[in-house]
Amino acid sequence: MKAIVYLLVTRFKNQLLSLKKKPGMLILYLFVFLMIVGSLVFLVFAGVEGTGMDYADERILLLIIGGVALFLLYTFVYSGLSTGSSLFTMPDVGLLFVSPVSSKKILLYGLISTLGKSLLGGIFIFYQIANLRNNFGYGMKEILSLFIVFVLVVVFGQLLAIGIYIFSNGNEKRKRLVKTLVYLAYAGILLSVVYVYQRYGVGAWEAALRVVSSSGFGYIPIAGWGTMFFMGVVNNSLFEILLSLGLFTCLGAVMILVLTSGKADYYEDVLVSTETTYQTLQAAKEGRRVARQGGKKIKVKEQEHGIGKGSGASTLMYKHLLEMRRKSRFIFLDGYTLFLVVGAGAAGYYFKKEQLPQGMDYLILGLAAYIQYFVSIMGKLKEELTKPYIYLIPESSIKKVIAASATSLLKPCVDGVLIFLVYVVVRGMNPLTGVFFAAAYAASGAVFTALTILYQRVLGDQPNKLVQMFFCFGILLLILAPSIGVSIAAAFLLPDALAFLVTLPYTGFCILFTILLFLLNGNLIDKAEFTGR
Amino acid sequence: MLIVNNVTKRYGKFVANDAVSFEIKAGEISVLLGPNGAGKSTIIKSVAGLLKFDGQIMINGHENKSLQAKRDLGYIPEMPALYDMLTVWEHMEFIARAYSLKNWKERANVLLQRLELEDKKKKLGSELSKGMQQKVSICCGLLTEPKVILFDEPMVGLDPHAIKELKSMILEKKKEGAAILISTHMLDSIDEFWDSANIMMGGRIAARRTRQDIEGSGEDLEALFFNITEGDKRQTEGEE
Repeated sequence: MKAIVYLLVTRFKNQLLSLKKKPGMLILYLFVFLMIVGSLVFLVFAGVEGTGMDYADERILLLIIGGVALFLLYTFVYSGLSTGSSLFTMPDVGLLFVSPVSSKKILLYGLISTLGKSLLGGIFIFYQIANLRNNFGYGMKEILSLFIVFVLVVVFGQLLAIGIYIFSNGNEKRKRLVKTLVYLAYAGILLSVVYVYQRYGVGAWEAALRVVSSSGFGYIPIAGWGTMFFMGVVNNSLFEILLSLGLFTCLGAVMILVLTSGKADYYEDVLVSTETTYQTLQAAKEGRRVARQGGKKIKVKEQEHGIGKGSGASTLMYKHLLEMRRKSRFIFLDGYTLFLVVGAGAAGYYFKKEQLPQGMDYLILGLAAYIQYFVSIMGKLKEELTKPYIYLIPESSIKKVIAASATSLLKPCVDGVLIFLVYVVVRGMNPLTGVFFAAAYAASGAVFTALTILYQRVLGDQPNKLVQMFFCFGILLLILAPSIGVSIAAAFLLPDALAFLVTLPYTGFCILFTILLFLLNGNLIDKAEFTGR
Repeated sequence: MLIVNNVTKRYGKFVANDAVSFEIKAGEISVLLGPNGAGKSTIIKSVAGLLKFDGQIMINGHENKSLQAKRDLGYIPEMPALYDMLTVWEHMEFIARAYSLKNWKERANVLLQRLELEDKKKKLGSELSKGMQQKVSICCGLLTEPKVILFDEPMVGLDPHAIKELKSMILEKKKEGAAILISTHMLDSIDEFWDSANIMMGGRIAARRTRQDIEGSGEDLEALFFNITEGDKRQTEGEE
């Protein structure tokens, strides 16, 4: 046990000491700490004179807790069915699993580590102090209980994931059984809402509120127990508090029993999930995406084998096309395209039904471009810079930059056409406006891609993705503001017959700026350094 | 021919390479020896044009970042870097097309055959073990028939057959007149074929010997290596 305590204490101590070398993180932690202290001070000084005021329906908060917990529960179950969540890290596997320390103690260590991370993760709840107080009249007791609910859901969710993994790993029948049970449970909740909706003739919102605040909901494992605990604290019901905690304890005991009983060797079971978690974390740190373990196996067909085209720098583009074809049969069309097309279609339908003004169409364009920004920030060129080949290929830097960015420039064009084709059809918008919207969307994609090149050129190997996002977003706002302004002015000045031209100044500016950025930063490959990330 | 002239590479205040200079002639196998953190990989990456540095590196008379120098250079990195979504054969095709190679298919087949990858042609990069990835990386590096070849710890992760085959490939390249630079920790693995050795310590070249020097003086390369690397440590401890 000494080793485990030493490990926990030393890791914590070293993590604190490492902040000395990371001033940015230190400032961030200090900021978070001050915000929490500020919120607590606010809570104390704001007093409780608000009691009796007209607060929001408490059930809304219950719906939020239940909804978030159900979502987390689903992700944990899913994780258990694929790789199993993990309480451990790779160093634990390499150093602790092989050491002469009892596996039960190691499991306890894993649980404590996860608990620590959950405590940190749950800090965001304290940001909501002012919100919770103003809207629901809650005090410290309720806020602390919310925090406890979050920690309970995360820790026991992790345990459940491991339990499910051990139970179903390599056994399709059991996997199907777990899936069926989960789907039935979720369908049951949905059916309850539909039943209340039909039976009492209330709206869908009210039906959902009634279901989540019913006593039956409190018995749904983990998510329901969390809401029961919270309501117990709010209503000062010791019975509800003890019952929910008892249910959590029972689940924990069963899971630990599964993990440690008989011949069950959880080392082997958590090994795969630990490796997967490690790879995913590494990839996330480096801004890469990793192929999901247990995902669809890619079969290379004879007729699809080979890059087929390209010479010199253009080979990079054809290679990207091949890679995209391997990921999606329709090359440029993927889940993101589908998401935006369906979203635009649904919005178009709603806008038409509610007869909302044409100005709302620009909101859709803005939103689509905004979402695209976060997707395109990790373009193909960025991926290419993590391998040495692009630096070694004997071609000029600008040719390589353009070739490696080509698919990132083409995808927004295809997406834009599809999104606004559907939108024009469903909303009944002027087709010409749709064409210019698609062009504006594609031009936004081009400028985002060019910005990643500028970012690479200026900041080079800046591993922090948050810094990258803020840097690009700041620059983006700065450079696009005038063109957006001109487009807004055009909206007021142009006659109705020429209203479709409103986005043209913005599009034109984006294209010009993209060309300028490519020309200015074309020497990126010659100037950048390869770091492998 | 490779000339490294007064190359210094800094990461902030840390000096990874400090005024490093050496030369490798055509048909010469030169090894870079040194403990971990001596700066071997950094100088190799600088030669390959992957890092910015102060100083001068010439490959066959061309500045190392020029297109002609890139055409003449082959680089086999320490960590194999394959594309997850490309098969083994497609890696060969990618290099061939990117370098605009002619009549490369037979050469690629021979390379794959020699490293026992013939039956793995349709395997994706993500499906290969670390050792196999290293083999593909070697094939990619040699497919272009480079005149200057950089190997960064090439034997790590390879099976005995592949090590044997790689050694004979290196000797063949030497006979063809390539200038070869190998960074390694494994003194035994290069013992039979090195022509010159640079021992690095703390980012500097601490000693340089040719095979003739060693054979003439009766000096032992391994003993010299330990004398430099551990002698330095002893000296530091003595100062403390």
